Amino acid sequence: MKKLLAGTAMALLLMPGLAAAEPKSLADFKLADRIAAKVAAGEELNFFVSYQDVSNEFAPQIRVGVEKADAMDGVKATFIGPVGSDADAQINEIEALMDTMDGLAISSVSTDALAPLIDRVLAAGIPVIAYNTDNPDSGRLVFAGQDLVQSGVEAGKLMGGVMEGKGKVMILTLDAAAQWSLDREKGARDGLAAFPDIEIVQTVNTGSDPQEMYASIENAMLANPEVTGLLSLECCTTPAAGSWVDRNQKAGAVKIVGFDLLDQTVEMVAAGSIQATIDQAPEAQGFAAVDLLARFLKGEPIDNLDTGVGIFTKDNIASVMKQ
Amino acid sequence: MVDRSVTAVKPGSGGLNRLRGRETGVFVALVVMCVALTLMNDRFLTSTNLLNIGRQVSLLGIMAVGMTFVLVSGEVDLSIGSTYALAGIASGMMIISGFGLVPAMVVGLVCGAVIGLINGLLSTYGRLPSLIATLGMLSMVRGAVLILTDGRPVTVNLRNGADPDVLAQFQFIGQGYLFGIVPMQLIFFVLVAAAGWFLLARTSFGFRVFAVGGSAKAARVSGIHVQAVKIWAMTLMGALAAFAGILSLAFLPSGQAGRMGMGLELDVIAATIVGGTSLAGGEGTILGTILGVLIIGVMRNGLVLTGVSPFAQEFLIGLVIVIAVAIDKWTTTPHRA
Repeated sequence: MKKLLAGTAMALLLMPGLAAAEPKSLADFKLADRIAAKVAAGEELNFFVSYQDVSNEFAPQIRVGVEKADAMDGVKATFIGPVGSDADAQINEIEALMDTMDGLAISSVSTDALAPLIDRVLAAGIPVIAYNTDNPDSGRLVFAGQDLVQSGVEAGKLMGGVMEGKGKVMILTLDAAAQWSLDREKGARDGLAAFPDIEIVQTVNTGSDPQEMYASIENAMLANPEVTGLLSLECCTTPAAGSWVDRNQKAGAVKIVGFDLLDQTVEMVAAGSIQATIDQAPEAQGFAAVDLLARFLKGEPIDNLDTGVGIFTKDNIASVMKQ
Repeated sequence: MVDRSVTAVKPGSGGLNRLRGRETGVFVALVVMCVALTLMNDRFLTSTNLLNIGRQVSLLGIMAVGMTFVLVSGEVDLSIGSTYALAGIASGMMIISGFGLVPAMVVGLVCGAVIGLINGLLSTYGRLPSLIATLGMLSMVRGAVLILTDGRPVTVNLRNGADPDVLAQFQFIGQGYLFGIVPMQLIFFVLVAAAGWFLLARTSFGFRVFAVGGSAKAARVSGIHVQAVKIWAMTLMGALAAFAGILSLAFLPSGQAGRMGMGLELDVIAATIVGGTSLAGGEGTILGTILGVLIIGVMRNGLVLTGVSPFAQEFLIGLVIVIAVAIDKWTTTPHRA
């Protein structure tokens, strides 16, 4: 909770926010008769929060937010999703549960693959919101989460700042083809474009196994010894880059900006091996996903919700360190 | 080494020549690749890079040694990526719970060996094809480690409760260097490969593995306990996957159940097959496997050094695997006639 609050507090200071869409209200939505009847009778509403990979590092944190929302009156919130980023499995699970759901919050494995399903769920009179990863090609009502392009821009600006505006940067990602990675990379490149003396050498696709990640960084750094900045686009190559810097006595010489607050990342920021990391408040996203659905069915207008960009450096990382 | 293996499958000196030719072909491919990369990039042929490659292929190599036994015996094991994750994470959890290095490693290794044992029992007495039995085990073990960790990363450090001395020992086996130069992972790979070579090529157990994989019926008639041989091969595989998983967590002292070792089984099988081990059983050598592992490792390293795009890297690695196996098949088939 401390992380959640700290991240959210930082976000208020640092991010311009998602572009507001036209607020969505129940009056403009053709709600399924069975759900309308439950709302009218004040019965408990059954929401499903589908995450793109329940086995990844964020799933437990998002689930905590969902469980907090589940404790609200009149709401039953269930965290679901595939093990591994499997679009077919996510579609099959939602299809199987469609008749029992009164609302769906979804973080899509693939925006293209899930958009038709989201539209089908909406057509069945079930409200759907996107959270964590937006699906703007679908008719989802609103999006709650971090603007991935914007978070990439912030990362690019941070990288430029810690490199004092000059040098060579390598971008690291565990899945260069994933939509979230493409969005963040675009943002990062945009952010770095403000520094004309910084050159982006290459994007390294590390794969998701920890050994693969480290080996990819090791190989890439050997091939490009002139690199003085590593910009990781996600949770997991951030500490791997920190480990490489530590083991090669490059702390300070090679600057690192990354994402999220894994234990190792937090320690490395505190130790100065990683210069900055950006949090996306996963607990807040999980909570907001359910809260928005509940408010929508109560008749309140809802709009896009920015869960923010929390920036942590050596100066403020103590606020999220385990006691 | 080679005499015994070939004799078990197909007696005669022709087989000996063929096997030598097979390893030579893989070796020549490796040398050609190394020469090309040396010419293309002056950072390839440096002691730092070569030791990096050695370390990077070590865990893959340790598992590929086990996979050689399994494939030669005529079976396959798809569960090793999950076993790798379970054993590494279980050992890590024990260390941060205050246990010493030895008990933590023993628990990890026993986990792996038991999984291998169950795979062996299902594939023999259970009459399930090993492909199916281990596919099921892949999923069950991955689920078990997710349940065990609740999907949260396990980080072995002082903050999470590891004893400083135990942590130092754990870090040494994964991150340490012998004489300040040779990575410990590489040392372990060499030791496992040497032991694997001895076991497969110089012991009666190795002879039986070849005999069972070459023709289970003939082996049974010869008095070999076919089921026992296969069960031992799969148990060995499980233990080696577990050992690699423990070393992996010791190297990067944080593991996550949903990522660690994901898809690793395919890399291990690919490296073993590139090294000349037959998917049909009865053929293969540890030396060939080592060469296969090195081809995969050098390829990955070289593609990054030469700046090939990450998407093209995946394509090229797949292409090399197909070409290597195809050349092997095309060049060895006439000898079998």
